[in-house]
Amino acid sequence: MKKILLVLGLAVSVALPALAQAREVTFTTELLDYGGDGAYMALYLTDLSGAYQGTLWVAGKKSKYYKHLSGWARGSRLDPAEYDGLTGASITSGRTLKITLDLDDALIDSGHEVRVDTAVEDMRDNRADVAVPLTTEGAGKPVSGRGYVRSFRYDF
Amino acid sequence: MKTKPVIISLALFCLSAPVLADDDCDDPMTDWQPREQLRQKLEAEGWTVYRIKVDDGCYEVKGLAPEGGSAEALFAPASLELMELEREDDEDDEDDDDDNKDERGDGQARDKAQTDRPVPSNGIVKGRPTVTVE
Repeated sequence: MKKILLVLGLAVSVALPALAQAREVTFTTELLDYGGDGAYMALYLTDLSGAYQGTLWVAGKKSKYYKHLSGWARGSRLDPAEYDGLTGASITSGRTLKITLDLDDALIDSGHEVRVDTAVEDMRDNRADVAVPLTTEGAGKPVSGRGYVRSFRYDF
Repeated sequence: MKTKPVIISLALFCLSAPVLADDDCDDPMTDWQPREQLRQKLEAEGWTVYRIKVDDGCYEVKGLAPEGGSAEALFAPASLELMELEREDDEDDEDDDDDNKDERGDGQARDKAQTDRPVPSNGIVKGRPTVTVE
């Protein structure tokens, strides 16, 4: 009996770390009052070298405009499987988009970066309007964007 | 084989081709008429043309339609035939109104289609995200 319990205990202690732990993350993107049409935005993850890893959210529903979110478009190859279930309306100038979702712990503190591409019709496209490492230390700290994003932050 | 029904079917199919045409244009560039030609044609019809650019092989026009109101239209560059007309006030996705409504009056618009969205399966996002626009 003791041997069985010992083996079981060892098996559990090996298996537990292998089980994926997920964490709730909230991404808050505040846009400037740039005075144009609704902004298309793509939030996505990259690795240390900037290579696309996955889509978090796409604001804007007409897929023919997705090519203007150029960093995300290139990485995702605009494959619908990458963003199925992760799309919503474009975001009006001056408004704030808040997205809460579950991510694997393994994506945090592991060299991954959150990027936001933005585009507005008849105005400029911004690849990596925002690019910030996804870390425990970075949580809650707002950063400025380079284009239409006034402020971006993530919270656990 | 009875040829008459086959010929009639083929003729009907050929007549239906323009109806089956999609939004993109595929006129050879050698056949394209100048943008200025399109501008003159539209202004003669009562349009106020803001700009004409090329998008997916079509001429894309932005301006005020003859009936009034902002509009965006696609024209085949060779025939200058109207392919698609979109009134700015008809757009059902550029506005947040359709999907994000502040129904509770608390300054927060929630994506009403949240539960209608499929569960993501890209291996990065687990379960359905919650989205609000403030």
